[in-house]
Amino acid sequence: MIPTCRRTREHILDISHSSGHGHIPTCFSIVEILHSVYITIRHDPRNPQWEQRDIFILSKGHAALAHYVVLAQFGYFDIETVYSFGSFMADFGCHANRFKVPAIEASTGSLGHGIGLAVGMALAFKIKKLPREVYVLIGDGESNEGSVWEAIMVAANLKLSNLAVIYDNNMSHSRGLQIHNPAERFEAFGCRVSTVNGHDINALSKELTKNGSTVRVIVAETKKGHGCRTLVDNHYEWHRKSPSDAELQMLKRELDEETVQADNYGLSRR
Amino acid sequence: MRRQFKQTIMDLAAADQRIVLVFGDVSVYLFREFKDKYPDRFYNMGICENTLISVAAGLSSQGLIPFVHTITPFITERSFEQIKLDMCYNQFGGNIVSCGASFDYAWDGATHHCYTDLAVLRLLPDIEVTQPGSKRELDALVRDQYDNGKATYFRLSDHPHDVDIPVAEFGRGVVLMDAGSDVTVMTAGPILGNVAEACKELDVNLVYFHTIKPIDRKLISSFRKTRIFVIHDAFGLFEAVCEVPNITASYYGLGDTFYDCYGTLVQIRKKVGLDVESIREFVSRQMKKS
Repeated sequence: MIPTCRRTREHILDISHSSGHGHIPTCFSIVEILHSVYITIRHDPRNPQWEQRDIFILSKGHAALAHYVVLAQFGYFDIETVYSFGSFMADFGCHANRFKVPAIEASTGSLGHGIGLAVGMALAFKIKKLPREVYVLIGDGESNEGSVWEAIMVAANLKLSNLAVIYDNNMSHSRGLQIHNPAERFEAFGCRVSTVNGHDINALSKELTKNGSTVRVIVAETKKGHGCRTLVDNHYEWHRKSPSDAELQMLKRELDEETVQADNYGLSRR
Repeated sequence: MRRQFKQTIMDLAAADQRIVLVFGDVSVYLFREFKDKYPDRFYNMGICENTLISVAAGLSSQGLIPFVHTITPFITERSFEQIKLDMCYNQFGGNIVSCGASFDYAWDGATHHCYTDLAVLRLLPDIEVTQPGSKRELDALVRDQYDNGKATYFRLSDHPHDVDIPVAEFGRGVVLMDAGSDVTVMTAGPILGNVAEACKELDVNLVYFHTIKPIDRKLISSFRKTRIFVIHDAFGLFEAVCEVPNITASYYGLGDTFYDCYGTLVQIRKKVGLDVESIREFVSRQMKKS
């Protein structure tokens, strides 16, 4: 884990600790994915509504806290504002509201919705002949929803080459309805599929920048709670839990143990 | 009414390139002219109603104007959460145009019937709900509302009424008979044909709606001193009427049951008691209670 991603996770822990909210393990599984997305896509934190920007949608909306922290690190807003997380009348809810937070392109929360919206947005750019791209991050647990596969079928049928679906394979699905061999499934649905280490920013960024003739699916192999041994080993217990004072210190120590100093992605200032 | 829908869309699309059709494998042959003329704006997306709504919302988010179209229960009841969240909560509005109404597919049984759509959709914030009863009403309502940026529901039927009413004005009810009676019948959509025929020689007031949300509260309120009977082959209008303060209203129409009797629309209406004779008998009975 590079220092920038350690800082993301530390903020997530601190905000969860102070607010009493947060799905920490599912947030930790997508930290590198989010950084890869925002170093890859065309966007402008000084002008979130820039008309030529690419679109990113967090379809697994319960990881909103990770999204907020990364957006703050990329300069969309001050990280201090995110400490209002989940409080009454706050802008930063446990699931994001697109009218309240810059760079949130769709309000998500109920699973299996963001991907359908993303398909519609990608189709709109095709119809309007705009060179904009759409990226959507879905969860493996979320992919229990039939609407995910409907949307994938439609995207493949329309050959939406401007759509990239990132599948966070953090083994959430293992609690209930299991999805074995996701890459084969997406391939069978007509997508161009690649599988990468979802905690390797270099590998993720490389995949995100590839072009193709149809919808791309990037199966990101991740771990729930990545960065803290305790969370990885006990992610069921930590699914919705916020750390106590002592647990916060312990988890931060574990983050330190997992952190390397090398940062080759131009993220060190964040 | 579906042919009118096609004609209205053809007219509008000629001048408005933002219009995109998202169909659920229904009315595709009817719209072949549109498809041939505007291949980039016609998508028979398949039998995936949840995704039809989500995709339409995504199109809308980028400035296009989608028309989603398929059979009533599938696009409304099945896709209720997509309408709620993707269109209403996100404010990525679009036009939802259903076909089949309550019992147009009588012979297909309860799976293809739908009479909760108006009632449940009207409960969502940021949505408009219409039930045009004739081709003229459909044409006027679509032209008025299709590009308003909101989620707007148009409930089509293949059995329109043939009552001559003034040009439909969105959100406004129509007084068809004002007899100064203490009994007022209120109705909506194609069933007006039977209701108007049943009431034509009765000394009652008759008020008609093609817009369920926003309901014309002012008009309803003006009949608050009368006993209001909502006669409707669906739910939704009665509930909307009842939300107007200080009125007395009761419902005559469908029961708490499935109508799994197959047959035709006419036969189901008769079984329900929404044929001309049954309606006349009901209204006459209420008048005697005056």
